[in-house]
Amino acid sequence: MKVTDFKELLIRSLDIENDPVPVSKKIEEAGATFSFSEGFRDKVLEKIYSSGSAVVREVEFVRSLNSVFYRIALSGAAAIIILLISIYMIQGSFSLDSFLGLGNGYDESIICLLTGN
Amino acid sequence: MIGESYRQKSENDLVRASLDGDKQAFGEIVTRYQNMVARTVKGMLGDSVYSEDIGQEVFIKLYHSLSDFRGEAKLSTYIQKIAVNLTLNEIKRRKRFFTTFSQKGNNEMHEFEVADHDSEERKDASELVNKALMRMDPKFRIIVAMRMLQGYSTKETAEILDLPLGTVLSRLSRAQEQLKNILGKL
Repeated sequence: MKVTDFKELLIRSLDIENDPVPVSKKIEEAGATFSFSEGFRDKVLEKIYSSGSAVVREVEFVRSLNSVFYRIALSGAAAIIILLISIYMIQGSFSLDSFLGLGNGYDESIICLLTGN
Repeated sequence: MIGESYRQKSENDLVRASLDGDKQAFGEIVTRYQNMVARTVKGMLGDSVYSEDIGQEVFIKLYHSLSDFRGEAKLSTYIQKIAVNLTLNEIKRRKRFFTTFSQKGNNEMHEFEVADHDSEERKDASELVNKALMRMDPKFRIIVAMRMLQGYSTKETAEILDLPLGTVLSRLSRAQEQLKNILGKL
């Protein structure tokens, strides 16, 4: 392919009306190929799987941390739900006083409670 | 042959096997997608040792995030997003470096990236594409690399780059103008 034709093909590849797949294939067939050096795959695998690799250990640590986090989060959510139900059953509402345990208290009794008199 | 059996496996099977620690399965993923990553990374950064490093980083990052891949999108799209993000980060890093150490900033960066090629007289297709891309504004370069080298539609490009379709269309049109000017001078 002549250089001028190739340049024209490159410009046409950006036409919105054109199907990009056949044009990009033509560009590749004309010699515009991009690849990594030989042994690229092995280099990547060596970096990831080399014995005692920090990468593998880090991934395993993150995975175990995630699983522990999910368990803690689920237990926490269950505890919050149980607490809300018990508050509602005891106090009969979700007001601020109910949360503070002051739903049925009188001012005098609180003062007695705080001062001890 | 063991390698043959991996070549016939689906993307999802390879991902599952890789998550179970199967090295050959992840190797097959690298083999399948390394040229696709090379087109994006080398198209954006030029043909240099840095591109090879970024390419390796793409697959290492993929390995780290395989458990997040839910199989809703194609694996190629998922890898492409990682490649684009890492490449754009590298371009930003270079831009910061050249802005800090040079008054000319962006222009210096382009000269640096194409320097290896200017020393050669060979004018093959890859080199012409590389030269043209390196002279383009990075925000147009990524759009051009996606369409010209990968053959992605505007919709796929928008999805990979997380850009509105209208933005991709307008950038594509402006990129075409810029490419015409650049190729006219090469």
